[in-house]
Amino acid sequence: MARQEIHLELVLGKRVYALNGRTVGRIEEARAEMQDGSAFVNEFLIGTYSFFERFSAWEIGRAILGVFGSSIKSGYRVRWDQIDFSNLQHPSLTCEVSDLSPLDMD
Amino acid sequence: MDLVRDCLDKQLVDRHGHKMGRVDGIILEVGDGRIPIVTAIEIGPVCQASRFHPMFAKVVKRITNRFGVVQKDPYRLPWSKVIPAGIEVVAGVEAEDTPVLGWELWLRKHVIERIPGA
Amino acid sequence: MKKLLEISLGIVTSVGGFLEIGSIATAAQAGADFGFQLIWAVLLGGLCVIFLVEQGGRLSAISGHTVTGAIRERFGFNYFILLFIILSAVTLLVLSAELGGVCIALEMSTGIRFQLWAIPVALVIWLILWKGTFGVIEKGISILGLVTISFIVGAVVMKPNWRSVLSGAVPSLPTSEKSHYWFSAVSILGASISPYLYLFYSSGAIEDEWDEGYIGVNRVIASFGMSFGSLISVAVLILGALVFPPRGLHADQYSQLALLMQDAFGHTGFIFFVLSLGISCLGAALEITLQMAYFAAQGFGWNWSENLPPKKEARFSLTYTIVVILAMLLVLTGIDPLQLTIISMALTAATLPLSTVPFLILMNDRKYLANSRNGWFSNAVVIVIITVAFVLAIVSIPLQILGGS
Repeated sequence: MARQEIHLELVLGKRVYALNGRTVGRIEEARAEMQDGSAFVNEFLIGTYSFFERFSAWEIGRAILGVFGSSIKSGYRVRWDQIDFSNLQHPSLTCEVSDLSPLDMD
Repeated sequence: MDLVRDCLDKQLVDRHGHKMGRVDGIILEVGDGRIPIVTAIEIGPVCQASRFHPMFAKVVKRITNRFGVVQKDPYRLPWSKVIPAGIEVVAGVEAEDTPVLGWELWLRKHVIERIPGA
Repeated sequence: MKKLLEISLGIVTSVGGFLEIGSIATAAQAGADFGFQLIWAVLLGGLCVIFLVEQGGRLSAISGHTVTGAIRERFGFNYFILLFIILSAVTLLVLSAELGGVCIALEMSTGIRFQLWAIPVALVIWLILWKGTFGVIEKGISILGLVTISFIVGAVVMKPNWRSVLSGAVPSLPTSEKSHYWFSAVSILGASISPYLYLFYSSGAIEDEWDEGYIGVNRVIASFGMSFGSLISVAVLILGALVFPPRGLHADQYSQLALLMQDAFGHTGFIFFVLSLGISCLGAALEITLQMAYFAAQGFGWNWSENLPPKKEARFSLTYTIVVILAMLLVLTGIDPLQLTIISMALTAATLPLSTVPFLILMNDRKYLANSRNGWFSNAVVIVIITVAFVLAIVSIPLQILGGS
């Protein structure tokens, strides 16, 4: 997979797929670490909304669902090497879902 | 730093505090087995329109080019010149040197200044 | 001492700026059709506005963001655009109604048809925005707006049955014309709880450079200012209930509104009414126009401030210019300003959740408000009232259309 440029704002809200093709969740955030003026993205945050999956495509939907707390929302922290962006419409994991760290809620 | 929460859509100001629009896009370089890095931010109506639907972006681009208003839309600011500062994002440039004020300056010259009392 | 002055000025501004053709028309009609029965709707709307305005001020003072800017930052560009399109469309209708209100006031005083006043009034509004500064506009028009207190004096002079008035403050079910009753309630709620009110207040807090030290000031201004403003609306309703039924009128034509204070003050009452209508609508028109331009500028990130000369903020000034022209065109079509008012108030109520839901989420966001987030009570009041308004709107607007007005 060659080095490529992606627009973060355009992958936001896109579904991430597991190795078996099932949906894991949607991309919500990219966490970067600043080092010498450069920003290295070391992980992506994925939100899962199970039943309300469709509603979560938009940020406002995710925000509203987030208000209802962890009963509806949960998620994963995906390390930069655990996700593959070669197909921008279909970002997918490079590892098993079980290898992902769960997201701690604010 | 959380890029979406702390950078995207935030007000952008130049080194003198003049408003330069909002951070409409963030460009990452990914792949090749290396850690992704933020290379630039993007500002401009074309970038905003793509977030809505790629078709709108084409329409907006045609309009902006037709009037020759903006030299480069969307405008890319390299990350090296970007300083996130809490409530806003500071760009280490002069707003008037960048194309982001294209519409503002064009309207000022061709419309607003022609009206008395501006 | 300086804070005391700011508080007094703020209250005066809120009182003077509260009434506009929406509150006048909806209250007058409600009084005409249902006596004192709908006073609760005015009070409920007023209560909700107090909370929303206080929250808008608090958000701006503490986070340094305007509500609009915060909505874009927190919910993304796409939601902002959706909100922008829908809210702008509804607000433009409201603005046209206000512009129409000024024109009606002029028609009443001169006999010249209201459409002919559309262009000169629009020009005056535009000139005030072009050459004025925020402080002058906010304070000047609002101090003049204090003439609307004459409604309260008029209501008292008419010696209504105060017990009946008080019982109207308690929500009650209609005995007849049920769908029209709820539709009237919805219009009153939409007239009181207009998003431009708290959005403008939040922009104003930034223009006036408020910070955390202003939380107390904000609370006082929002509660006293908006309460007093609501009382003026209640007074209009009372007058409507006393003046129209004996004449068999339903206040469904704007010429009838001129009667509101005539029983109380005779011909002077007519003058007070015309002044109140004209000035309050002018003030509202200025506020709404500015707010529509603020909305675009804050959301897109342009330079904005009423304290800058137009050439320093070309996009902002062009926006409000276009807005005024569009409103003027709508009035020129000759559409009945009263009808336009009632429709735009009902639509406002129907679209309330679009702006208030994200607003509430922001008011509970630690990142914006740190330790000053909403308590459960503030959240509850807003959620309940907005839900009531929204549900009523969804139900009664179709019924009103089907039932015919």
